[in-house]
Amino acid sequence: MGTFRMNRRHFLALSGAAGIGAAMSGGMSRAMAQSLSGASTAVLPSQAPTNWAAVLEKANAALQAEHGFTLNAEFINWGSYGQQALLKFTAGAQFDTALQALWLNMAQLQQDGALADLTGQIDKWPNLKAQIAPKLIEANTWNGKLWGIPQVNSAARVQHFTVRQDLAEKHGFGEITDYDTLERFFYTIKEKEDGVTPYSLVSNSHWIYAVPTPTAMFNQHSWENPYTMQYLFAGSGLRFLFAKDAAETGSSGPIPFWDDEGVIAALRKIRQYYNDGIVNADGMNVDRATIDSQFQTGRFASNWAMTDGSSSNQLAALQRNVPEARLGQVMPFGKPLTAVKPVQTFQADNMVVVNANGGDVDRALALQDWLSVKENHDLIEYGIEGTDWEAAGDDGIKQLSQYAFPGYALLWRSGLERRSSFMTESEKTIFDWAQNYDNFTADTFASFIPDVTPVREAAAAMNNVIIQHANPLFYGVADVDAQLDKLKSAADAAGLDVLQGEMEKQANAYLAARA
Amino acid sequence: MEHAAQDRRRRRRISKRDSLALLLLAAPGIVWFTVFAYGPMVGLVVAFKDFNIRQGIFGSPWNGFANFRYFLSSGDAWTIVTNTLVLNALFLTASLLAGLVLALMLNEIRGQFYRRFMQSSIFFPYFVSPIVISLMLQAILSGVGGRGGIVNDMLNVFDLPQLAWYTTPGAWPWILTLVKVWQLGGYTSVIFLAAITSISEEVYEAAAIDGASRARMALSITTPLLLPTMGILVVLGVGRIFFGDFATIYAIVQDNGILFPTTDVIDTYVFRSLRTIGNFGTTAAIGLFQSVVGFVFVTAAVLVQRRFQKESAIL
Repeated sequence: MGTFRMNRRHFLALSGAAGIGAAMSGGMSRAMAQSLSGASTAVLPSQAPTNWAAVLEKANAALQAEHGFTLNAEFINWGSYGQQALLKFTAGAQFDTALQALWLNMAQLQQDGALADLTGQIDKWPNLKAQIAPKLIEANTWNGKLWGIPQVNSAARVQHFTVRQDLAEKHGFGEITDYDTLERFFYTIKEKEDGVTPYSLVSNSHWIYAVPTPTAMFNQHSWENPYTMQYLFAGSGLRFLFAKDAAETGSSGPIPFWDDEGVIAALRKIRQYYNDGIVNADGMNVDRATIDSQFQTGRFASNWAMTDGSSSNQLAALQRNVPEARLGQVMPFGKPLTAVKPVQTFQADNMVVVNANGGDVDRALALQDWLSVKENHDLIEYGIEGTDWEAAGDDGIKQLSQYAFPGYALLWRSGLERRSSFMTESEKTIFDWAQNYDNFTADTFASFIPDVTPVREAAAAMNNVIIQHANPLFYGVADVDAQLDKLKSAADAAGLDVLQGEMEKQANAYLAARA
Repeated sequence: MEHAAQDRRRRRRISKRDSLALLLLAAPGIVWFTVFAYGPMVGLVVAFKDFNIRQGIFGSPWNGFANFRYFLSSGDAWTIVTNTLVLNALFLTASLLAGLVLALMLNEIRGQFYRRFMQSSIFFPYFVSPIVISLMLQAILSGVGGRGGIVNDMLNVFDLPQLAWYTTPGAWPWILTLVKVWQLGGYTSVIFLAAITSISEEVYEAAAIDGASRARMALSITTPLLLPTMGILVVLGVGRIFFGDFATIYAIVQDNGILFPTTDVIDTYVFRSLRTIGNFGTTAAIGLFQSVVGFVFVTAAVLVQRRFQKESAIL
C-alpha cells in the first residue's frame, strides 16, 4: 500500500474547500433562519413554570432578533398529555413541535405519516449538530429515517434504587451493591423502622419491577445478566423478549415476558414482598407525585431512580422533614460499574417531533439550534440567572426559585445540562457512567421499531389484557399461579399467536436487513 | 261572510307573528344544538373507517363494521355492557330512593334555619370533585401505603379481619353506589322538595282532621304524589343508563385492572382504549354503539311511562 503525503498545495486546496463548505453551510443555515417568521408553537407536557412570562419575554426578544420568530409554548397537564397531543395531530392543529416517544404515540404517528421526516436536517444546524452525538442520531433512526430530535441528558438509562443511606448505615449496611444485601436491608427496615415501608410501588410503572430493560428492579436474574431488552408493538401492551443468539441464527424467537424464568421469579418475589409488607399495598392506585411526597416525609426507605441525574433532587425536601437523611444509589448489577456493559437501545425516551401537517421544519430546527447554545439553553431550562438560579462551578447549578421547565420535552442536551448542587457523590458517579456510550453494548435489535398496523386490533385487545391481568402480578396483589393462568388464557383469546407471529416476522426481517 | 274572512286573515297574521316570535326564542337553542350536538355527529363516520391521523376523518379508508366487530368480539364487551347497566341501575335506584327519603325527612323539619342548614349540608357533596372523592375513599378504605384505613380500623375494633378493598372487586358496585348516594342524595332531594311544595296544604289538613299521623301523611299522601316526579327522573336516568359515570368511576378505579370485572364501564373502556392505543375508529364505534343502545333504552322508558303514567309522561 502506497503512502500518501500531503504537499503544501494539496493542503491549501483542501483547507480552501473546507472553508468554502463551512461558509456555505453556515450561510445556508443563516439564510434559512433569517427567512423565518411567526411563532414556533411547541406542545409541552406539564405546566408553565413560575416566572415563565419573564423568561419567555427575554427568550423571545433574543429569538426575534436572531431568527425573526418567537417561541409559543403550549403546556398540557401530564394527566392528559398523551390524548391531547394526539388529538392536536388528528385535528390538524397548527403547531411546529411536540414531545413524543415510543411510550406515547410516536410509532402510530410516524406510521400514519403525521410526523415530518427530519433525516439529514440536523446537519444544517451547527449548534444542534454539535450537541447531538452521531451515535444518538444513529440509534434513533428508524429504517434509515429520523422522525424526531432525541432529547437526552445521558447516553443510556437504567432504572435502579435510591435508598435512604442514613437508614442503611444506622442498621449496619454501608453501601449496598448486590440484590441479597438489598433484600436484607428491606426486611431489616420492615422489622426495625416502625412506620417506614421499605420500597414504594407506583401505578403506571408496572413492568419495570419484573421485565428486564436490561434489568428490572426485582428481577435478580437480570441483575446478574443485564443483557435483555424488551420490545412491544406500541407504547404499551405485551412485552416480548428475543432469543439471545438471534444475531447469529437470524431467528428472533420472541417470547411473551411470562415465558421467561427470571420474570416469573421476579413476580413471585414481588408477591412475597406484598405479603410481607416490604412494598406498599396501594401501588396500583397511587401516582408518582403522591409517592414522591411520601418519600420526602420519610415514609419509604427506598424509591425508584433513573440514571438521569435527577434522583438527588428529592434530598432537599427530604431533609426538611428528616434532617439526618442522606441518599445513596443502588445499581441493579451486583458488581462495579466498570465490570458490566449492559445492553441498551440508545433510543431516546423523549423526542421532539415536527408536525407534518402544518409544522414548519426549518423554524422547528432553528429553535432546536438556538436552544443548543449554552446561554439560551440555560435561560429556558433554568430560568433567569440571579433570579431563578446561580452557577455552582463550571457545570453546577444552585436553584434559587421554584422555576421548573420540562427540559426533556424540548431542550435536553447532554453537554449543556448543569448538575444540581444537591446531586450526591454516588449519583454523580452513576451519571458520569451513564453519559458515556462506550459503557454499554448496543442491543441486537437496538433500532428495531415494530409496525403495529398489521396487528392493530390484536394489539389493542392485548393492551386491555395486560392492564387487567398482568398489572396485578406486577404489583403483587394476586396469587402468581392463578393470575398467570388468567393472563395466559386472556392473552390467547386476544390473539397472542397473531402478535407473536407478526413480531417474529418483522424482527427476522430486521435481522436479515442488517446481516 | 266578509266578517268571517277578515277574522281568518287576522288569526293567520297573529299565528305568523307568534311563529316568528317562537322561532326567535328557539334560535339560540337551535344554533347551540346544531353546532355542538348535531354538527359533531358528522365525526361518527370515523366508526366506519380505518382511521389514519394524517388522512383525517374523510380521507381515511372505509372499513365497514370492522371497528364494531373488534369491540363485540373482544371478550370485554359483555362484561362492560353488563357493568354499565348494573352500576347505573344501582346508582339510579339508590340515589332516587335516598333523595325521596331525605326529602320526606327534610320536609318534617319545622325550624327554617335548621332545615336550610341540613339541606345545604347534604347538597354540598354534589360539588365535590371526583378526584377529591377518590382521595377521601383511599384514606377511608386503604390508608397511607394501602394497609389500614378507617374502615379497616373499625373492623379491627370488632375483631373482624381487615379487607384489601382495592383488590376485592365484589365490593365495588356497593362502594360506588354509596358514593353516588352521598353525591346525589341531597341533589335529588331538592327536586323532590320542590315537588312537595306544590302539594296543596288542604290535603294535609283533611288528613289531620281524619287523625293521620305525620308518618301516615308522608307515606299515604306525600309519597304517592311524588310518583310523577319520580317517573320523570327515572325516564331521564334510564336515558343515561348506557353512559357510565366516567368522572367518578375513572377517578376512583383508574387502571386498577383487578377491579375491572365489576367496575369497567363503557366510558372508562373507551377512554382507556383511546389513551393507550390511540385508535379513534374503535373508540368512535363503541361510542356510537353506546348512543344507539341508549336511544333504544330511553324510547322504551318513555313508552313504559306513557303506558302507566300517561298524564305525567314527558312525551
